[in-house]
Amino acid sequence: MDFSEVVRSAIEAIKINKLRSALTALGVIIGVAAIILLISISAGLQKYISGQFEKLGTNSIFILPGKFRPGPQGGPPRAVNKLTFKIAERIEKQKNEAIIDVSPFVEIDVTVSYKNKSKITTLAGVKPTYFVLSDIGAQTGRTFTDRENQVEAKMAVVGQTIAKDLYQQENPVGKVILISKKSYRVLGVLEPQGRAGGIDIDNQVLIPLNSARKLTGTDQVNSILVRTSSAETIPQAKERVEKILKQSLSEDEFSILTQEQLLSSILQIIGVLTVALGGIAAISLIVGGVGISNIMLVSVTERTREIGLRKALGARPRDILSQFLTEAVILSFLGGAIGVLIGYLGSLVLSNFLQTFVPFWAVALGLGFSTVVGVIFGVAPALRAARLQPVEALRHE
Amino acid sequence: MNAALDVKKISKIYGEPPNETIALKNVSLQIKEGEFVAIIGPSGSGKSTLMNILGLLDIPTSGEYFFENRKAANLSQNDLAKLRNQKIGFVFQSFNLLPRTSSLKNVELPLIYSGVGKKEREQKAKEMLERVGLGDKLFSTPAKLSGGQQQRVAIARALVNDPFVIFADEPTGNLDTRSSSDIMQIFKDLNNEGRTIVLITHEIDIAKLASRILTMRDGQIVSDVKNRPKKQIIKSKRKGV
Ligand SMILES: Nc1ncnc2c1ncn2[C@@H]1O[C@H](COP(=O)(O)OP(=O)(O)O)[C@@H](O)[C@H]1O
Ligand SMILES: [Mg+2]
Repeated sequence: MDFSEVVRSAIEAIKINKLRSALTALGVIIGVAAIILLISISAGLQKYISGQFEKLGTNSIFILPGKFRPGPQGGPPRAVNKLTFKIAERIEKQKNEAIIDVSPFVEIDVTVSYKNKSKITTLAGVKPTYFVLSDIGAQTGRTFTDRENQVEAKMAVVGQTIAKDLYQQENPVGKVILISKKSYRVLGVLEPQGRAGGIDIDNQVLIPLNSARKLTGTDQVNSILVRTSSAETIPQAKERVEKILKQSLSEDEFSILTQEQLLSSILQIIGVLTVALGGIAAISLIVGGVGISNIMLVSVTERTREIGLRKALGARPRDILSQFLTEAVILSFLGGAIGVLIGYLGSLVLSNFLQTFVPFWAVALGLGFSTVVGVIFGVAPALRAARLQPVEALRHE
Repeated sequence: MNAALDVKKISKIYGEPPNETIALKNVSLQIKEGEFVAIIGPSGSGKSTLMNILGLLDIPTSGEYFFENRKAANLSQNDLAKLRNQKIGFVFQSFNLLPRTSSLKNVELPLIYSGVGKKEREQKAKEMLERVGLGDKLFSTPAKLSGGQQQRVAIARALVNDPFVIFADEPTGNLDTRSSSDIMQIFKDLNNEGRTIVLITHEIDIAKLASRILTMRDGQIVSDVKNRPKKQIIKSKRKGV
């Protein structure tokens, strides 16, 4: 019995009992769809973050509070933040020719309101250069100027979500916005940013850095971004920054990371997350495999007479084995293919809300894994079928 | 000439003492190529058990069986499969066709296991179905066929690999009188062509079409007589079984 014949008869058997076949494959369909969906979410997050870093260019270094240990266990440091505006100013003053810009960054969660509506949002204090460097512009209105930053102007640029939720039909530009109960004027509305990894990037309010310094009442900053004249001068800049920081901070109170280091650390963390999520989905696929095994066993029992007949007509044990094994593999492969399709469609739907991306390897993984599940969980029922004694199988009712 | 099927003192015991069933007791039997043997006897007398051993579907508890001079006990699973495929045709009381599968595909089945290509397979299966008078039912599934027609598909399937022996276990047991005579006529023709037939039946009228009649009782052959078969199949017989 040649292979094409085995495949053909397996497909026929699958077609003859469509409902049972669908039920058999259901577990695999769900498992693979879950794998694809979860991978697409974290791969989308990776892509978003990489994109953001790309916008910043390769000639940047980041100063973060605490000792940053790259790698999966590292994560953002939890140490007390001792980075301040003063330190940033000191770098600015003592910078060498390798350093062209020093931008402290302040980010806090605040409640903003307009009329009777209010919302919790992320407030960021940024320099006017931020808009150019990050390639984010105002969709309506404008962003703030250097001068407005210097005079600690009470002006804000709001994200799309804030515009929609607080102002609804009104045009926010020129209106008042209460930030921590202090009134600011809305200068502009940011271009839509979308979502990444479940976070709504449009839910943010940007104010001039100096205004933020005044608003928070502390001198603390979240991080300091230092831009260098080129990628080549990064070591030079790094050396200078380190020297300045050491004047006021001990070695484990700050970290200096290049864009590459920071990006790879973040991607590594997301990578671990992806594997963990994929692992959970893989468990559901194993449950799907057990389903295949069970229903194939039922199928073998139901078709005992057929197996006896086939043996009486000259089927060798290996013919029966390959028949049932092929059926299991085709079912799980089809289940895998349908699962990939559903997962892909699901990620398309999700992409309305957050950035998703289905990498090719996820598709290969889904199909490969489901096929392997078919082989592993198909063997037991197929062996049982192959070992049936013809007379006893024929006597079976 | 050696007997094609040679059974030497075989017994078949089911279960463990003290609850064992002795289905066959020291049975010896030789069947030559070209014979038409009918086996009769009451239900439970061991007819099917004997036929299953003859047809290499089952193995005796003791004794020896030679199929065309090959000792059955020495044959591997694959050897057995090959002999069942090439040398033996089975016809069962309950037809045993694959449901939801066309007559053509059902008849093709033995050819699939002997590795015959698709074209040739279809051609041969079609010829066999035409031969049993079902040339117009190639694509009908069993559900669309009468009992007699289903049994004719089963006979076509048994014949398609040109075996030298056909084993039929009460092939007319589920059929009405008319279909029974049609089926028996086919067996008669096959035997006239030189094919060996071993047929189990309840009905003496049917047994009388054979050239040799074995009677079984309690796992033993109690009589083995030559018969001068009737030329013509009598249509008037007891109704059904
Ligand atoms: N697989 C089996 N397990 C136990 N007993 C069996 C089995 N097959 C047949 N028998 C018993 O063996 C005896 C002969 O059965 P069988 O050959 O089917 O008789 P027949 O075909 O003449 O009616 C019966 O008593 C039957 O119950
Ligand atoms: Mg019987």
